[in-house]
Amino acid sequence: MRDLPASLDLLALARELLLDELLPLLPPERHRDVRLIATAMAIVAREAAARLQSQNQVLLDLAQLYNSEKASLSALQGGEGGDPARSAGEGEVGVGKVSGIPHLTPALSAPRGGEEVKNDAARQFRRLAADLRNGAFETSPSRAAAARATLWRLTIAKLREGNPHFLAANGFNPAGEESA
Amino acid sequence: MAATALPRSDTGPGDRQRALAQFLAEASGAAAVEIGRIELLAGGAIQENWGLDAEFEGGLLSGRQRMVLRTDAATGVPSSLGRVEEFAVLQAVFAAGVTVPEPLFACADKAVLGKPFFVMRRVGGSAQGRPITLDPALEPARPALAERLGRELAKLQTVRSPRGDLAFLKKTGPREHIAAFRAYLDLHPNPRPVLEWALRWAETHVPDTLPPVLCHRDFRTGNYMLDGTRLTGILDWEFAGWGDPDEDIGWLCCKGWRFGRLDREAGGIAEREPFYRGYEAESGRRLGPDRVKFWEVIANLRWAVIAMQQSDRYLIGGARNLSTAITGRRATECELELLMLLDPAGAKERMASRA
Repeated sequence: MRDLPASLDLLALARELLLDELLPLLPPERHRDVRLIATAMAIVAREAAARLQSQNQVLLDLAQLYNSEKASLSALQGGEGGDPARSAGEGEVGVGKVSGIPHLTPALSAPRGGEEVKNDAARQFRRLAADLRNGAFETSPSRAAAARATLWRLTIAKLREGNPHFLAANGFNPAGEESA
Repeated sequence: MAATALPRSDTGPGDRQRALAQFLAEASGAAAVEIGRIELLAGGAIQENWGLDAEFEGGLLSGRQRMVLRTDAATGVPSSLGRVEEFAVLQAVFAAGVTVPEPLFACADKAVLGKPFFVMRRVGGSAQGRPITLDPALEPARPALAERLGRELAKLQTVRSPRGDLAFLKKTGPREHIAAFRAYLDLHPNPRPVLEWALRWAETHVPDTLPPVLCHRDFRTGNYMLDGTRLTGILDWEFAGWGDPDEDIGWLCCKGWRFGRLDREAGGIAEREPFYRGYEAESGRRLGPDRVKFWEVIANLRWAVIAMQQSDRYLIGGARNLSTAITGRRATECELELLMLLDPAGAKERMASRA
């Protein structure tokens, strides 16, 4: 799960600013350079849009948090997780009372298409958010630790993409693998 | 940034200027007021601050005066206080001995400038956070500045509820903050598990209640003026309200206000020690690390929500502004800080694993 506004939207805004507002201020002999930059940005945008962003590791964390090893492996492979269905409204932040008994949602074990993965991830994170609000993991130290590890992994991954300097300034590795 | 016209209106800037001169003359008891230079000062996204020079003929302010006129920006978002209310807060803290620009006159009558405003004396210096934390020339003066800010904060907290002149101020305690943040998250399209986790921690660690005091609610580097090394004024009282005495301490110390000097925990200018020392000496109250930690957690939560609200102007409001849109990304910085504050062992482990 990434922060909003999405990077592609920010890129589109930046490109707009470059072409609409900065280009007219520059002497004509530099217009070609600006257009090249705009083209490069467009290439990046296209490639980024085409690439399926991998969220498997954080999703795996969530799968392990919510169910068995079997379920998580199954999820990674795109198979059936064998998890029980959720009750109505469960796991939705701000929608009624959450049961506090987490299940692996069926969505995680569904076949993995691009949009579907994105939607599944959003559902999973909504559920995690709801469970954290309600203290669902607080009776089990091991699950509380697993939830914390997921939060760390998620936050470090987001900052590695979005603001590696801040990560480094706080003493964390701004690139590469981080052990959870 | 400079400009030469007051807030635009149907009647035009010339009429506004005349109406303002007449208002100032009546308010000060002057026979006449001649307005000289008017310029829009930099830095107000929600409020506009206009530098205003005027010559008063007799009355309370007889002679040449340098002032600032503060009013709502055309594109402003609703803030906690209106300008007339902010003026009343400024009067209260000025009377309590806090270093602020002297409040002069407030005007609720929209016939003068088209919107309410107030006028205060103009103080010298700059409030820009980055030079204040990074300029080597300020190096020797920073601990004393931190101590002074501690004293200023203690003085502003001598303003206490209930007060008839500040009856409009709302009291916001920790549970109200937590409820408001959750209500915001419930409306936001993206779930924020780290913020939820920190909110749960806050909910289960609410400190003992202390008698409410006046809180500035934006008391931090970037909101006080320095002229050289001299503190000339604490600015921007629009978020003031009644609350816990440690709330402003957590806000000033939270990482989001350190402007490139993350190691200096008191507003990016000094260690906490001189800031705490100044506060404790002036207030006579010892600060407790657990209470301050709680309010620092709340500060980071608030920072995150404010950052997300900024990008909502793009996401929901449709504003095509890169700077506003990108601010939402800073919420993740707050989340890292929340993890570091609430899981220091986890932080150490992950720092050690850097390879």
